[in-house]
Amino acid sequence: MRIGILSEARAVRGPERSRGRMYSMKINILGTATTKFGELWDISPRELAREAMSGALRASGLRPSQIDALFVGNMLSGILGNQTNLASLIVEELGAQVPAFRIEGACASGGLALHNAINSLNAGKYKTVLVLGLEKMTDHSQDEITSALSAAGSDEERMSGLTFPGIYALMAKAYMQAYNVSEETLAAVSVKNHYHGSFNPKAQFQSIITVGDVMRSPKVADPLKLLDCSPVSDGASAVVITSDILIKSKNPVTIIASEVATDTLGLYTRKSFTSLSAVVTACQKAYQAAKIKPTDIDVAEIHDCFSISEAIAVEDLGFSKKGEGAKDIADGKTTLFKGKIICNPSGGLKACGHPVGATGIKQIVEITEQLRGTAGRRQVKGAKIGLTHNVGGSGAVAAIHILKGSAI
Amino acid sequence: MRTSPVKLWRRQKDTIAVIGKTGKILLWTIIRVPAKTFTDQAPYPVVIVKMDDGKKMVGQLVDFAKENLITGQKVQAVLRRLKTEGQEDAIYYHIKFRPI
Amino acid sequence: MSGIVGYGTYIPKYRLKLSEIAQMWGKEPSEIEGGLRISEKAVAGSDEDAVTMGIEASRKAIAAAGLKPTDLQSVYFGSESHPYAVNPSSTIAGEYLGIGNNYFAADLEFACKAATAGMQITLGLLDSKKIDYGLVIGSDTAQGKPHDALEYTAASTAAAYILGNKKSEVIASVLQMSSFTSDTPDFWRREGAKFPSHFGRFTGEPAYFTHVLSEGEKLLKSSKLKPKDFSFCVFHMPNGKFPRAAAKKLGFTPEQLAPSLTVDKIGNPYSASSLLGLAAVLDIAKPKQKIFFVSYGSGAGSDGFVFEITPEITKHQKKTVPVEKQIEDKIYISYQQYLRQSHIL
Repeated sequence: MRIGILSEARAVRGPERSRGRMYSMKINILGTATTKFGELWDISPRELAREAMSGALRASGLRPSQIDALFVGNMLSGILGNQTNLASLIVEELGAQVPAFRIEGACASGGLALHNAINSLNAGKYKTVLVLGLEKMTDHSQDEITSALSAAGSDEERMSGLTFPGIYALMAKAYMQAYNVSEETLAAVSVKNHYHGSFNPKAQFQSIITVGDVMRSPKVADPLKLLDCSPVSDGASAVVITSDILIKSKNPVTIIASEVATDTLGLYTRKSFTSLSAVVTACQKAYQAAKIKPTDIDVAEIHDCFSISEAIAVEDLGFSKKGEGAKDIADGKTTLFKGKIICNPSGGLKACGHPVGATGIKQIVEITEQLRGTAGRRQVKGAKIGLTHNVGGSGAVAAIHILKGSAI
Repeated sequence: MRTSPVKLWRRQKDTIAVIGKTGKILLWTIIRVPAKTFTDQAPYPVVIVKMDDGKKMVGQLVDFAKENLITGQKVQAVLRRLKTEGQEDAIYYHIKFRPI
Repeated sequence: MSGIVGYGTYIPKYRLKLSEIAQMWGKEPSEIEGGLRISEKAVAGSDEDAVTMGIEASRKAIAAAGLKPTDLQSVYFGSESHPYAVNPSSTIAGEYLGIGNNYFAADLEFACKAATAGMQITLGLLDSKKIDYGLVIGSDTAQGKPHDALEYTAASTAAAYILGNKKSEVIASVLQMSSFTSDTPDFWRREGAKFPSHFGRFTGEPAYFTHVLSEGEKLLKSSKLKPKDFSFCVFHMPNGKFPRAAAKKLGFTPEQLAPSLTVDKIGNPYSASSLLGLAAVLDIAKPKQKIFFVSYGSGAGSDGFVFEITPEITKHQKKTVPVEKQIEDKIYISYQQYLRQSHIL
């Protein structure tokens, strides 16, 4: 491909920009691995990376030298750990001195790292790459973490005294006002995800909670309470993907769409406070590229940083009608064993945990297991097509991936 | 959150243009677990305001009574200290909102 | 003849009842209130300071005077609680008011009479035609040490006065002005100290009364006027007792003094005290009436002015936010909340 520089003043306009692209290469997932998520006091960031990466390599049947490049999704290593140049650090734990890149997009870092890895395969530059999502948060105080997470929003929001939960609290207020939804209904999201988490040995929380527990938990930013919010977690997840058709996989899972879209950094200037246009745009492109409808999705991993996020997400993704997302979740329409499109079988961010940069890759790990039929007690029967929904900040960026099992 | 006297100075014109302008509350929340910068002020409300000129702004709500925390409450932009600084820091003046 | 062309005041919303303070220290509220003749005081919000309040008062003054910010050619900011020891409040205020770059500016300190000293300086610039309009701000977030007598009276408020020299714009012309000054260490605050110190009863007769009465008598003599020629008298109000005693000593009646006694509901906001009292009087004064005004600043000195109201006052009164209205616009806070807001805790 000849890379030329377009005139700087010209922008590419037209329908091309909004269409999801077909892939020239078939992107297969060879192997995945995830560490436990939680307060892992005695495990260092390097050890987390090593565990996830070696696990993914083992599952792929590959040696480190067979990896062409490494992509790392991580948000906070600079702000909290005073460590940038992270990819070079992680490469030391891989066991092969390969090109390495860190991608950052707040909580969407994992999904964005995967998107960039896929792009490199489609470009033909690399053939087999490892994508790692990693975050170490518990070395730092709650104060520092709250401040660090607010880096995902805009300066105006930070200076107004808003925190990350505060921004989503405003969305919750808008949603509850617009659709006459109660705090109790929203609480059902956390209840469902804890129920799912109880089947996941890697989840941070494997305990069942009730709506009453959520309602009684201390307020963080009105109306969001502690149990409406995903926790602070450490963890790492890794996936090996390849475009190399010569590498045979026993139970291949293919990535049939990878789309990213952006919106304003801050919430308050947006037209809608009850929908993330970045998600709507990205998933529309993804459904187009994969040639499917929302109802074709069997299982999804949703970015439930807060209970309100999942309610809005199922609407934005086309699973629920506008205004009915919270109600549908509360009615069990996305719950394991009884729902139609099962959301967050891993326990989601709420119960499985949310090591920020790792989440996007953990979602891929979970959907891969579901599509291979290896998800154990939390298996969604007959899952053929899965979707991951990874959001950065209050919706400034969204990464949507659609995966297909080899059963088709 | 980083503040610097240079940022303060660079933003003067924008701040001056807003002082005294009025608008209405669109949405509000109360921050109970604050970032480090605002620890001594918590809990406090933050509001999204639609200004009379149509622009949307976000800011802390001050000098309020409980009944002012409603969508539609009229507010005015005022200049206040952003936070409680350390003894040696420059003082950062910033726009906040108060009910009128 | 130069004089006031516009004024504005800003009283923060919060009030602390003196009875709350008294109860904290196990004192009988009625004794305290009776002795000081104050019932409640104004407390600034935790994010307010002399500058933010000064800007609010100045905006009102500019609007009431019908001027543009760029008309102002000097800013003198008097306070005992300048936010910075070095970095002028006058220019922070000047910038956020949109005055531009063409003005004289300085910060002043002279305890509670810093701003009235600023008025004297401004009148000098006006009379020599170096400027057309000048802004003077008196603003304080006064602090009193817990359990100290000053805790009952130290309050927060800002007053802004715009002075000019065009006869058609002056609402209160300055007929006479002078000062009585000495070195009297009655009340002070060292660099870096959070709270002021004072020497008890020494702040009375040798300090406040010597200077206020001496200046008062000087003013009467030089203006060739008698107390009964005045409709109003205004004095610095460290508490409710002192101005009442000074007025009586100089020959004024309680009725002449009453409209200025903002101290009863607001307390003593130091550099804004006498200027707040003056504003309360200007809110209701009529053309041709004369106002007798003597401020006091510890250390010590008194600035005296004789004002005469002009017909222009009526136009201004239509645009002013009256002091009385602001006094009544309040939210009561507890002693604990006061400690938090005043950054004592």
